[in-house]
Amino acid sequence: MSEHIKLSIDGLEVVTQKGRSILQAAGEQDIYIPTLCHHPDLKPAGVCRTCMVEVAGRGLVISCKTPVEEGMVVATDSPEIDSVRRTAVSLLVTNHHDDCIGCAADGHCALQNVASYVGVTRDALNRLRRPTRSVPVDTSNPFYDRDMDKCIVCGICVQTCKDLVGVSAIDFAFRGYDTTIAVPGDKPVITSRCISCGECVVRCPVGALIPKSRELPARLVKTICPYCGVGCGIVLGVRGNRIVNAEGNRDCATNAGILCVKGRYGHGFVGHADRLKTPLIRRNGKLSEASWDEALSLVAERLATYPGDAFAGLSSAKCTNEENYLFQKFVRAVMGTNNVDHCARLCHSPSVAGLAQSFGSGAMTNSIAEVADAQCILAIGTNTTAAHPVLATRMWAAVQRGAALIVANPKEIELCRWATLHLRQRPGSDVALMMGMARVIVDEGLHDRAFIAQRCEGFEELQKSLSHYDLDWVEKTTGVPKQKIAEAARLYATRKPAAIFYAMGVTQHTHGTDNVLATSNLALLTGNAGKPSTGVNPLRGQNNVQGACDLAALPNVFPGYQKVTDDAIRRKFEAAWSRPLSPTPGITHVEIFHAIHAGRVKALYSMGENPILSEADANHVREAIERLEFFVVQDIFLTETAAFADVVLPAAAFAEKDGTFTNTERRVQRVRKAVDAPGDAKPDWRILCELAQKMGVTGFDFSSPKQIMEEITSLTPQYAGITYERIETNGLQWPCTGPDHGGTQYLFAEKFSTPNGKAQFKPLDYRPPAEDPDEQYPLVLTTDRSLYHFHTSSMTGRVEGLVAAHPEERLMINPIDARALAVADEELVEVTSRRGNTRVRAHVTEICPAGVVSLTFHFANAPTNELTIAALDPVAKIPETKVCAVRVQKTGA
Amino acid sequence: MKQLEAARKRAEADWTKLRESQPLVMVGTATCGRSAGAVEVLNALAVEAKRRKLVVKFIEVGCIGSCYSEPIVCVQRPGEPAVVYGNVDTKSAVQIVAAHLGNGEPLAAHALGTLGEGSFDGIPNLWMQPFFRPQVRRVLRRCGFIDPRSLDHYLATDGYKGLEKALSMAPEAIISEVERAGLRGRGGAGFPTFRKWRFCREAPSEQKYLICNADEGDPGAFMNRSVLESDPHAVLEGMIIAGRAIGASTGYVYCRAEYPLALERLRASIADAESMGILGNDVLGSGFSFHIEVKEGAGAFVCGEETALIASIEGHRGMPRTRPPFPAISGLWGKPTIINNVESLASVSLILQNGAAWYAEVGSEKSKGTKTFALVGKVRHTGLVEAPMGITLREMIYDIGGGILDDKPLKAVQTGGPSGGCIPASLIDTPVDYDSLNALGTIMGSGGLVVMDEDTCAVDFARYFLDFARQESCGECVPCRLGTTQLMQILEDITRGRGTPSDIDLLVEMGEAVKKGSLCGLGQTAPNPVLTAIRYFREEFEDHVLRNRCPAAVCKEIISAPCMHACPIDTQAATYISLIAEGRLAEAFDVILADNPLPSVCARVCHHPCEDKCTAGKWGKPIAIRALKRFATDAAKAAGIYPDKKREPRRGEKVAIVGSGPAGLMAGYQLARSGHDVTIFESLPVVGGALAVYIPAYRLPREQLADDIRHIQNAGVQIETGVTIGVDISFAQLRERYRAIFIATGAHAPSAMRIPNEDAEGVIPAMAFLKDTALGNEISIGKRIAVVGGGNAAIDAARSALRTRGVEQVTILYRRTRKEMPAFEEEIEAALEEGVRIEYLVAPVRVLADSGRLEGVECLRMELGPLDASGRRRPVPIEGSEFIVELDTLMPAIGERADTPFLPDSIEKTRWDTIATCSETFATNLEGVFAGGDVVTGPDTVIEAMAAGKIAASMIDRYLRGDPVRRSYSFVRPSLYLPGVTLTDEEIESADRPKMERIPVSRRIHHDVEDEIGLARDQAVAEARRCLRCDLETEHACEALRRQAGDAP
Repeated sequence: MSEHIKLSIDGLEVVTQKGRSILQAAGEQDIYIPTLCHHPDLKPAGVCRTCMVEVAGRGLVISCKTPVEEGMVVATDSPEIDSVRRTAVSLLVTNHHDDCIGCAADGHCALQNVASYVGVTRDALNRLRRPTRSVPVDTSNPFYDRDMDKCIVCGICVQTCKDLVGVSAIDFAFRGYDTTIAVPGDKPVITSRCISCGECVVRCPVGALIPKSRELPARLVKTICPYCGVGCGIVLGVRGNRIVNAEGNRDCATNAGILCVKGRYGHGFVGHADRLKTPLIRRNGKLSEASWDEALSLVAERLATYPGDAFAGLSSAKCTNEENYLFQKFVRAVMGTNNVDHCARLCHSPSVAGLAQSFGSGAMTNSIAEVADAQCILAIGTNTTAAHPVLATRMWAAVQRGAALIVANPKEIELCRWATLHLRQRPGSDVALMMGMARVIVDEGLHDRAFIAQRCEGFEELQKSLSHYDLDWVEKTTGVPKQKIAEAARLYATRKPAAIFYAMGVTQHTHGTDNVLATSNLALLTGNAGKPSTGVNPLRGQNNVQGACDLAALPNVFPGYQKVTDDAIRRKFEAAWSRPLSPTPGITHVEIFHAIHAGRVKALYSMGENPILSEADANHVREAIERLEFFVVQDIFLTETAAFADVVLPAAAFAEKDGTFTNTERRVQRVRKAVDAPGDAKPDWRILCELAQKMGVTGFDFSSPKQIMEEITSLTPQYAGITYERIETNGLQWPCTGPDHGGTQYLFAEKFSTPNGKAQFKPLDYRPPAEDPDEQYPLVLTTDRSLYHFHTSSMTGRVEGLVAAHPEERLMINPIDARALAVADEELVEVTSRRGNTRVRAHVTEICPAGVVSLTFHFANAPTNELTIAALDPVAKIPETKVCAVRVQKTGA
Repeated sequence: MKQLEAARKRAEADWTKLRESQPLVMVGTATCGRSAGAVEVLNALAVEAKRRKLVVKFIEVGCIGSCYSEPIVCVQRPGEPAVVYGNVDTKSAVQIVAAHLGNGEPLAAHALGTLGEGSFDGIPNLWMQPFFRPQVRRVLRRCGFIDPRSLDHYLATDGYKGLEKALSMAPEAIISEVERAGLRGRGGAGFPTFRKWRFCREAPSEQKYLICNADEGDPGAFMNRSVLESDPHAVLEGMIIAGRAIGASTGYVYCRAEYPLALERLRASIADAESMGILGNDVLGSGFSFHIEVKEGAGAFVCGEETALIASIEGHRGMPRTRPPFPAISGLWGKPTIINNVESLASVSLILQNGAAWYAEVGSEKSKGTKTFALVGKVRHTGLVEAPMGITLREMIYDIGGGILDDKPLKAVQTGGPSGGCIPASLIDTPVDYDSLNALGTIMGSGGLVVMDEDTCAVDFARYFLDFARQESCGECVPCRLGTTQLMQILEDITRGRGTPSDIDLLVEMGEAVKKGSLCGLGQTAPNPVLTAIRYFREEFEDHVLRNRCPAAVCKEIISAPCMHACPIDTQAATYISLIAEGRLAEAFDVILADNPLPSVCARVCHHPCEDKCTAGKWGKPIAIRALKRFATDAAKAAGIYPDKKREPRRGEKVAIVGSGPAGLMAGYQLARSGHDVTIFESLPVVGGALAVYIPAYRLPREQLADDIRHIQNAGVQIETGVTIGVDISFAQLRERYRAIFIATGAHAPSAMRIPNEDAEGVIPAMAFLKDTALGNEISIGKRIAVVGGGNAAIDAARSALRTRGVEQVTILYRRTRKEMPAFEEEIEAALEEGVRIEYLVAPVRVLADSGRLEGVECLRMELGPLDASGRRRPVPIEGSEFIVELDTLMPAIGERADTPFLPDSIEKTRWDTIATCSETFATNLEGVFAGGDVVTGPDTVIEAMAAGKIAASMIDRYLRGDPVRRSYSFVRPSLYLPGVTLTDEEIESADRPKMERIPVSRRIHHDVEDEIGLARDQAVAEARRCLRCDLETEHACEALRRQAGDAP
């Protein structure tokens, strides 16, 4: 219970909570106290001195930093206050180069507001001396400019960068009047480690930090960011039919207003000239424009000739829940096959497979907001600041509150700056590492015996299997000193609540499922499951990869992970859809291409996927596509894959349609239309409906996504309680089983989703990666993501600023390897694997350990996946894109 | 504890043995000594001792504080008192070894004083020396007397006894002891130390910290450095005691990296204390553990602020934070933390060792104990001083400090460094304690005292201190970051002559707001120097902004060159000097004549305020400007050049001037040149007023005066002699006939001595005697003459008397010493040469007369007492010292008064009988009537009278033109800039002010033979080339020179 405090402000009796500042107490009563350096997201700085008030018996104090006390008598204005305030404000205005007319902040400038409140007059200013310093505007950043002449050195940007984002790219520099905000060396900001998240820009109270795009929106539309799985709420600013900017949605539980560079500045692709505007049909080997009627008739006609398993569909983790539902319904109900999958296969299929075994359900167990309250965070195989930047800020918050952060990653990623420990395991040795930790925990008796006894099964088997993980062997296998492993184990086992986060570094292996099981073993051993701020938390890569899985863009289940092999379930769907359904699970993503090669699949329908770049061993994929008899691609751009299609259907982008996305924490959130799609492009759900109708199938006469959602909830128990009305302002986290169910913040509070409700320990054997380096291919190639790009860059590659920030592929290579190969930084090299080769420039850096090189897969002109190996995890069928053997050579040109 | 006991016994035995077994030489090698060459001196001493095969023990010690006498060497032979030598160089070091160590004869010439029992002839005891006598040395007691690197020396001198005592006491008892002692924080704010400690002690936390703030950063402060370098264990001891009192087990010394020697000695001392078990786990077996770590700061002034210091130790940028929470509750790493200054901690060990009662014996009521000060600036004896709280600034400056350099008047003292403020000379009887200083708007600070003389400009020194604070501002809060800069810019503008009348109020307004609004102590005190400067020297600020004057002649953009600025009639001294340097004499004379119609006069009798402010005089001798003027004037006149100045077209306005002295002549000349019809009425038969009748002809030959008067008449001025207003023409008639009148009749009425019988026959006012002499009247004054007074009139009278027939002996009676004598130095010297006797410290008390005829005068001897308001020591009669001087004539020369019986009652006068005028315009209360010169000011100098005439003329001109009668002030700017000259090495080597030669004394028997011989041409040119050409340093000059250079082909 919080204590109440009574005080008087300007003669008004005010009751507030203990611990509040005078400024907060006044704000609660709508009593205005001017401030310039205060921001509700940040700790009070107390440097602008304009929030000064008078407390009886104490004199002048700054209200932002003075806590309320019982019986305090506060005056927010007096001649003395006025003299201090007026002086401070006059000084700032005078030093501000007085350029309101040309200033982007004009009209919403805090200095203007405060100056007008205080009543700073031109006469008063004319008595003062003008500034002696003027610096040119720093335009080096692709997204925002820094005009230090307008800076009032309030420090909000510094605090934002340091405390909120954890980057500390900027800080105070110099002394006295020369004090300014600068990056190291007072160089242009682009040279710093600024991640262009723009959080400082939105918080700048004046016009010192200004977005490059300064057009003001005419209306605002709340929707969800189309990039990673964090699912940040964004507010699109729209003018005419154009998106002019994006802001974080402060009401959104996921991000509370925080955005990353892509979320804030990455929407230029929506209105890009490259957008597909009409359907295209291949005529004489060339794609040419066609009408919807022509195109859909053609598709309907051709698809009718490939019923059943000769057909396969690739759904899209970028499309809405409704569209994924419709797509799999189309595949199952119209085409009569379960051959539907999507790219989750290439990222988190081991999570689904692994966590289903141990917990009974494969999704992030806990919530994003809980991260900040964890006492220990094990981040393994996740480059969180690059791939899930906004979630990383919650990790930073936890670290600032004293949490231990253990980073397990072969590369010295940005996250290591905050880390208590960095375990630099060899790529592919994760099982050894985590089982080694488990061994320490059990050996030292740090496991949670009560939890294990009450809620788990299989501990003895696990304990037995741990005997293989002698720490000396673990050290040898992982390359991590055993003391460090032990230290990590102790931290993880003793600092509770402890949460595990992982991403592709864990899953994209031939032993990806084992890796996932290793994480759940650790969580179960220490009782870190079924409680807030604990759990095993796979970080999903795409905005709606969770939803695409939930809504069954998977070959083995109906929506809500209801097995296709379960007769009762199947009958339920047959009844609902009025069609007979196949009882045989379909084939997976990689298997589809094998099946094409084998001639079993002849027609493929790809909605929003670009496998030619995203799939491991891409050459193999391209050859498969070339073998297809009929290939339909539905997308917003003519992607590398679409170029091979027989028919291309132009789709609407995320901002051009309504629907829902489900983010990585299982939160179903509303997506809203902000602008009209270009030309004849249509939302994917509408295209699917029209096609099905063309094929004469009923059950596709939806007039809105809302209607589709109603059908979804009627068939999917974990979505049962979700309606558009309920998620109008904030999403709901599944399971949400009924209209009165408030959603589930963290899973397994009472019981696990396994048949008997108990979590399962899984003994594990260590298996090395499929392809070890050898004399011919001596280096390990691992793949990574850039903060500035997304997936195959079909979107980010069309945003000018993002391209400027990260224009081309770079091979990260350790100086030791570079020296051995006589490769200099920026030098062009050829990277060759058994499957292909690519040419890129080298980036010599210690981020990569010796023996390991790294590439992203964002660039079509340097297709990394032509190098990777399609060796599959036996359970999840995910290819091992994180490890393959390569050779690096200098090239002539 | 036992181990310490044994160590102390051994140390004490060694300490005694050290002084008894062999000669001991201690050399002060703290940073101050080193910079003065102490290490070289030490080497020289050692080499010489070795050469002489003398067995001598050398010890490097810290600093005894007398910076003015660095390097300092102390020599002691067994059984003899020690002798402290000052200003030792490698040469005198050799002499000291030879004389004192070799022959047992101390070198009195270099000795500062003796120490210990016994004495040497001619060498006073050191502690009886003025610099040391008023001091009470407690914190500094070991400084300069022990080897700071020796724990043994510390133990032998009662070191760590306070700690031993403290370890036997409960922590709360330690705090109570400090409370009873009344110790207040020596870092500046004066917060009671015990209170802070108790807060911390009572704060609930396992972990607490103690920090010793050794981040001394004020300009001119070095108290802490001296203690750290000279007696580091004293600080460590205080820290351990404080740690025990507050419950801390870890202490930090935060010391700036600019103090490498202090850091080195601290670290070594910590290691020694650790090995002795004084520091570390289980201090001296007491169960209490304490560790000390040294943290180096990067030298940011703001890190002296507690919270910024904490941030710095934590590894952040040194930025302060708002309090509360106070560090005593939440400090380093969020734990309760006490931060004490070096001196506070050094005092703590003393309090514990000697008890609170002992500590509180000295000091003032609310500020107990002693305080160390760094006394710097324009005092003779700069140094590190420790004095009881409550000592007055006067004692500090005049006793300890030995007075102001060159005996210039004190202007102000800055206390508390850049966070403090100034105290004007009028308030130097203020006791130095926390509360008295606060009441004056300044602070004690850590004890910096910067003494300033009259050559310091109030605006400029405020700017200097503010600039420091401005640069050291961390930039965090708005008022400090921008406010100090704004204040600085305004002050900068004022010193550059760009200030506006409202700026002074703006400075006060903004200064107050910065004080109230700033986040930390830096900003809250930064405006103090400005605010106190305005509080005590507002008029000087107004001089800058309203009158374009810098009275101290410092602000170069206003003054152009100090010599020009100092001249009341704006003579372009620098310009004619530079012309003389190039041998362009005719042009030089032209420049002189431009502002001065009496060049021949001023070249001989001007008291040359220009030379007093001459920059060359700050480090050497000022340029002989008057001599140069005479040279140029004489040379031009010898060449027949005396050009008439161009007149403006005549306008027929009639102006009457009453009196033909320097004021009247100047006014007449200026008005005539402006086109007016000017008539000067002179009641005497000769023209020139005081110039003609009071200044003896041997100083100002009459033909020289006549040249200048002729020149003035050529400009159109009518002079009617023998016309007395009120007798020949009434004042009313004068007003009827003339549109404007300028009264410049001077001051002639003699002042009374106010002693019995002063109306006796034979008592003649000096001025009357001079006038009779000048007019050639018959005079008989007898053989024995005495003149009373010390001004130029007294000397003139005495020297004239010597030249009068029959006179055998002339004595001047003066009540102070020669140092205080207002007459020109060269005149006094000439008088002495000629045989005038001067009796100093003598005051006549009674004229002895027989039947109304003077027979002699009874005098009293005086001695100099305490200082008066002018900063001079007041003469006080010595009782029973009466003596009689037998005389034929007694001439009082103690000043004259204005004498204006001819004026109507309707004209307003002052209570001194001078005419009351507007100080700006010289207008009287009567329409069209102006007055100036001595009749307004009382007796003053020729040049001031001329200045009055010049200003009055311009006011009268405005009046006649119908313009508002108002002064306008412009900068003094030369009409011509000549590039500087380059001196050869020989020239630089031989450059010196030439002495103005006089004819031999034997030939100085006539009144009308000029005794000064002017400079020879080569002398004059060499002297002119010695000029530092301050006039070229302004922006205006640089611009002009650039233009000239650009124009050149």
